Amino acid sequence: MMRGLWDRETVALFLLLALMPLALTWLWFGGTQAALQLVLALVVSGLWHMIFMLARAQPPSFAGAITALAVAMLAPEDLGLIRLILGISFGTVMGELVFGGWGRNVVNPATVTLAFLGFGFPTAPWPDFVLPVAWGAIPAAAIGAVTGVMSARLLTGAGLVTLLAMALGADLDRVLPAAGIVLVLLVADPVASASTALGRWLNGALYAALVVMFTLEWQGAAPLQAAVSAALLASLAAPVLDEAAIALWLARRKGRHGRT
Amino acid sequence: MLGGRLGTGLHVATGAQPRGGGEPVRRMTEEAAVFCRPEGDLRVDDVTPEDTLVAQGAPVARLREHPDIALVAPMAGRVARVVLRPGRRLAEIVLFREAGGDRHRHDVGGSAATEAGVRRLMQSAGLWPRLQRRPFGRLPPSDERPAAIVAMAADTRPMAPDPRMALRGREEDLARGLSALAGLTDGPVLLCQQAGPSLVENGLADGRVMIVTTGPRHPQGLAGLRIHDLCPAGIDAPVWEVHAEDAADLGALLVTGLLPETRLVSVAGAAMNETLLLRCQPGADMRGLSHGHVRPGPHVLMAGSPLDGREARWLGPRERQVTVNPQARAASRHWFQSALTRSSTQVPVIPTAALEQSVGGAFPAAAMIRALASGDDETAMKLGVLSLLEDDLALTDYVIGGAPRLSTLLRRMLDRIETEYAA
Repeated sequence: MMRGLWDRETVALFLLLALMPLALTWLWFGGTQAALQLVLALVVSGLWHMIFMLARAQPPSFAGAITALAVAMLAPEDLGLIRLILGISFGTVMGELVFGGWGRNVVNPATVTLAFLGFGFPTAPWPDFVLPVAWGAIPAAAIGAVTGVMSARLLTGAGLVTLLAMALGADLDRVLPAAGIVLVLLVADPVASASTALGRWLNGALYAALVVMFTLEWQGAAPLQAAVSAALLASLAAPVLDEAAIALWLARRKGRHGRT
Repeated sequence: MLGGRLGTGLHVATGAQPRGGGEPVRRMTEEAAVFCRPEGDLRVDDVTPEDTLVAQGAPVARLREHPDIALVAPMAGRVARVVLRPGRRLAEIVLFREAGGDRHRHDVGGSAATEAGVRRLMQSAGLWPRLQRRPFGRLPPSDERPAAIVAMAADTRPMAPDPRMALRGREEDLARGLSALAGLTDGPVLLCQQAGPSLVENGLADGRVMIVTTGPRHPQGLAGLRIHDLCPAGIDAPVWEVHAEDAADLGALLVTGLLPETRLVSVAGAAMNETLLLRCQPGADMRGLSHGHVRPGPHVLMAGSPLDGREARWLGPRERQVTVNPQARAASRHWFQSALTRSSTQVPVIPTAALEQSVGGAFPAAAMIRALASGDDETAMKLGVLSLLEDDLALTDYVIGGAPRLSTLLRRMLDRIETEYAA
């Protein structure tokens, strides 16, 4: 039998490839500090993948590296080693591995880590990004959409709602870089986002709408904090959006054929 | 929606295009067989004994449950070997060709005019096994009236022969065959063809024969996805599928009483020196078809396309494609690599654009795969699983790298639904 390309690990590798522009610019501007943080996240995440492989015969996935990258980039600063290790362990294990590994999880493990750290240690400051790093999100989204590992519908949906909000006069300049980075790192994850066509449009639109709402109404929130919270809520809502899209599809089909 | 236009179908590169404009060559193999796959269950009676001379189109066996339905000799020849499994279940009836043999003339006698006449003729002349019934993909019962009949004059599987070429010069036969098929159903007869001039006049048989245009890319020309889209099959609403060439054979049979001898078949694959377009008998010996054109070295013969083919010796009653691939050697794997890649449970499928395109955007692919993998029959039926058969998910299996094998999961689910709901 012939075999095609798009098994789980290929998708993970293409996702990693898509995120490279973002990761490399971030490493370039972040220097040694960023590199060390990334190595730490990689080691902790890899360790848990190994443990689950040995204990539960669960094959490790390159998706662990995506999680590590997202955590290293987005985690609050000045947490100290122990808290960071605790956060990554919690996110990787409770967000992904206990469900059976990447592909069966409900929420992106990096989102779980960041929500855990953000809500657990609210005094820690959220990192800021220099503008060139944020520009890196655009080629990342482009590569992801062209290879099909990120949903073009989701990305477009988010973009359209953002444009609409800006056209209506919302001042989003401060939050846009962080929101863009979170969009490609966390929201566009094919597993944790919606999987139907309509659901993906709604998923992207919902994320952008939440970002806009948090920016305008949430006093004192850091841009990244608003974006991560929006990502968490949007990915929790993804199954509902899928359900709605499928229900609509079934209703249309029933109207056309009288049966499903 | 734009996404619907862009997001359907893939090109799968699988080998050389036919040489020399691809005019088909007539090649009858020395051996041919009437057979039943091991997983099939065909009990037969009245089997012609070994060493009997039979004419082309003459019955060689009858089904025990439906004695009207005959299996006929694909060519004039001598019955060489009859293999029956316990319970008179058919394994194979092998024939050796006899040069200058006869053709069996079926009694037409005005049968084109009545539904019963068409049914009787199709059943006695061996055209019935060329029908496929959805749901479940079995032979239709002899007295069933389907909700619709879909005739496929499009085939987008990689290296499949072009049905338009098979039907060249046979437009009248096709129109007559489709009109006759319209008598067997109260619903529409849909002729799926690719863009281009219409194969038959739209609206034959009081407007019940309709032409549907399908896209040029795989899987847009798969019968299952077309049925899913146009007239979904249900437990109480069976849909029959027939190849347009077989419909044209019916048209010819109605006039002459002779079953056409050959069909257009392509022989292709990575182990072939060139792609062949042949006209051969049904049930042809695939070794005979590929002989002399295979590259040196071990190879496997598969009936069907590179995506959905299965290893076999004979071409089936509905198959029009032979794939010859080099034999893959089983690689020995290091235990650590197995630990890294193989799991106790099956690796999940990631919903990407490739997955969506592999089902042509016909249904929510991720939801369907989840229902298949978890054995959720009800959700799968809502999503239209009853219109599908293994072939329709072959491209998806290819795209996601074959783990888990969705066609296996689908067959298991269909069998379960058949015993639970349709008993």
